[in-house]
Amino acid sequence: MTQWAFTVDLERCVGCQSCVIACKVENGTPPGVHWMKVLEKEEGEFPYAKRTFTPVRCNHCDDPPCARACPTGAIRKRHDGVVIVDQDLCIGTMACMTACPYYVPYRWDGDGGYFGEQLTAYEQEKYARFNPGTAQKCHFCYHRLDEGRPPACVEACPADALNYGDRDDPESRINALLRQKKHFRPKEELGTRPSLFYLTGKGGGTISGGGSR
Amino acid sequence: MSAKGLSDMKFIMDFQAQRHWDWKVAVYLYGAGTSAGLIFLEVVLRNLEMIGATTALYGMWIGLGLALLSLAFLFDHLGPKARWRFLYVFRRPRTSWISRGAIIVTVLVLLRLVILLPSMPGFEGLPVGEGTALGGVLRATVLLFALAFMAYSGLVLSSWNSIAFWNTPMLPMLYVGYSFLAGMAALPIVGAIAGGSHEVGLVVPVVRTHLLALLLVNALGLLLYIWGMASGTLPCRESVRRLLRGEQRWNFWAGIVGVGLMLPLIAVGAALSEGSGWGSLPALILVGACLAIQIGSYLLRDAVLRVGVYGQPV
Repeated sequence: MTQWAFTVDLERCVGCQSCVIACKVENGTPPGVHWMKVLEKEEGEFPYAKRTFTPVRCNHCDDPPCARACPTGAIRKRHDGVVIVDQDLCIGTMACMTACPYYVPYRWDGDGGYFGEQLTAYEQEKYARFNPGTAQKCHFCYHRLDEGRPPACVEACPADALNYGDRDDPESRINALLRQKKHFRPKEELGTRPSLFYLTGKGGGTISGGGSR
Repeated sequence: MSAKGLSDMKFIMDFQAQRHWDWKVAVYLYGAGTSAGLIFLEVVLRNLEMIGATTALYGMWIGLGLALLSLAFLFDHLGPKARWRFLYVFRRPRTSWISRGAIIVTVLVLLRLVILLPSMPGFEGLPVGEGTALGGVLRATVLLFALAFMAYSGLVLSSWNSIAFWNTPMLPMLYVGYSFLAGMAALPIVGAIAGGSHEVGLVVPVVRTHLLALLLVNALGLLLYIWGMASGTLPCRESVRRLLRGEQRWNFWAGIVGVGLMLPLIAVGAALSEGSGWGSLPALILVGACLAIQIGSYLLRDAVLRVGVYGQPV
């Protein structure tokens, strides 16, 4: 059975935010809602200071804490591992936002677009997919996956830092990448088993998580 | 801002404070805990015949009103768009503490209503009053659910490991302690509302020694909680920094410690050493101290919510 997963090559990400924009364009998320983020961090001191970039999004965990916390059962995993929000069941308790250690979900309350109260035609069409007052988060572009296309962020990445594939297929691109490069999963110590792997360094094999918690 | 969550965060790898559960949730947690504490103590003290029937009845009504008021704040927090969909909240008690809490509070409110029915015109003959077998069973069940609800107000935060400052068994214990404290401190206020000098005169001698003990126990609990968190992981220590020296320092030192603990300690000490009749200065001061405890109790919930920070996502 297909189990979709992402890889993010931290050595390749240049922080161009293409994935952020591609996600916005594809899914038409409202102001203040970012399903995809590229976080910056300054490391070291002059003259050896540098900036690192870490793309962050829903990790589609195998044991998603957001789904456990949700009192209505609005968050569930599809058979292919994608974690989705059923907006008809969501009542906006924001339990998922509190429970997610990656602080991924948002709640959109449905007022206003990027250019004020009056929505553009594009916004009207895109926002019609979101129920106001419900949780919003990355859904792995499942509408594209179902058509055999890659997620918008993966397709837009100019540095080939983002990849996706079937974890259950030994020949898939991400399994090949996991064999080639050292990798870790974010905050693995919390037991969420994210379906996202950060790649860094040659040689394959896992790196134990270095998260602060 | 039309979105809740970390919608205004800069895209920087850093600790992020949760902002979506705001003062309305703090009011809910305070109201839930205090109403449960009040009803628990009211049932126990009435059973021991330490408080009068009038105070007990008013306590039950005020506790119910406080619970409903706090629920109103919670519904407001959900937003008007939730409408009747809030009924879905009962669907996942197996995994979700919010779902469990919804069930507990619903049962508790219904039990209170049944217990209060005989005090309403037309229902005087119902066999659920004090001294009846069914009334006894109902009150025992209320005690269980009140205790569960007090614990829930902390467990709903501590059950998730995303925010390290909340993810400790100390938090539910502290909230249970504070629920008892605020519930006990509500009794003189209820007495003053219920029957003025006579009822307060009956309640104050019962309450003041217990209040002193609860104040000391909760001060110790708060100290242990902060101390434990101060030696925890990086996000824990960041939360403690924000609470003691950061943006919540006034809330903590002036509100929670000063108004909520130190002033009442001094007032209860004065009430213990003086007379207790209504109109005497110590009794008035004690009622004032009880109001201060309510403020401190609310501020504790508010500050704990505000300083909850996520660890870095990677």
